[in-house]
Amino acid sequence: MPEIKVLYFAAASTTAGLQEEHIPLPSEEPFPLSSLATLLSSRHPSRGLDKVLATSQWSVDAEMVDEPEKVFLAGGEEVAVICPVSGG
Amino acid sequence: MSTVSWPNASTEAKEEITEGVAVLTYEELDTEKIMASVADDRAGATAVFIGTTRNSFEGKVVTRLDYQAYSKLAINTILNIIRTAHKQHSRSQHHAEGQIASSLIKCAVHHRLGTVPVGKPSIVIAVSSPHRKESFQACEFILEEVKMKAQIWKREFYEGEREDEAKWKANVTT
Repeated sequence: MPEIKVLYFAAASTTAGLQEEHIPLPSEEPFPLSSLATLLSSRHPSRGLDKVLATSQWSVDAEMVDEPEKVFLAGGEEVAVICPVSGG
Repeated sequence: MSTVSWPNASTEAKEEITEGVAVLTYEELDTEKIMASVADDRAGATAVFIGTTRNSFEGKVVTRLDYQAYSKLAINTILNIIRTAHKQHSRSQHHAEGQIASSLIKCAVHHRLGTVPVGKPSIVIAVSSPHRKESFQACEFILEEVKMKAQIWKREFYEGEREDEAKWKANVTT
């Protein structure tokens, strides 16, 4: 199965208990980014990751995604959970 | 004290463009050096913003702050902010031929990663321009944009509270 790399930062990282992981996509079909939150939450149940993901954005291959419903993952991508930022 | 491990993707980074420089570093920020990096004989003004870590939050004593970034994305975000600042200050400017179009000269944005003790700078922004107004405006614009957009996060640790319960902050609450 094609695989993606998922990066977790800040609250996403402390909630999931890890900084990155490789995840096999469910099938050879392009996987909708809009379904990734459900997939990640199911891998880390009972940790409250779903709540963090609900307030986060995605980046794919180090570019912010404006319209997740239009993005499909083929495998090989680096996807990051971008929590509300707090630099400065 | 537990050993702190920073995310692999939260690396030191530095990227330079003609309009300025963006730096993410685990080293202490050297304000003098950053100011010097935007020095230019055409400049009549250098505006500098130094953001330092505060010792309190809602009555609690802050002991330290930890910063991390998705560095390759954050650097690009900061460079785009610098480019935008330059473009904003080149509008409706009429210069003689051969002169630069932007009324900003150089912007330097340095942001800390890792543990920053209370009272130390976490961000330093320096902007040089021929006249004061543009450098003040651009410096503030860059700061606000970086706080809103750059993929950088801070976690605040409080006196007498468990480290694993330290809060990740958010500049804009959703």
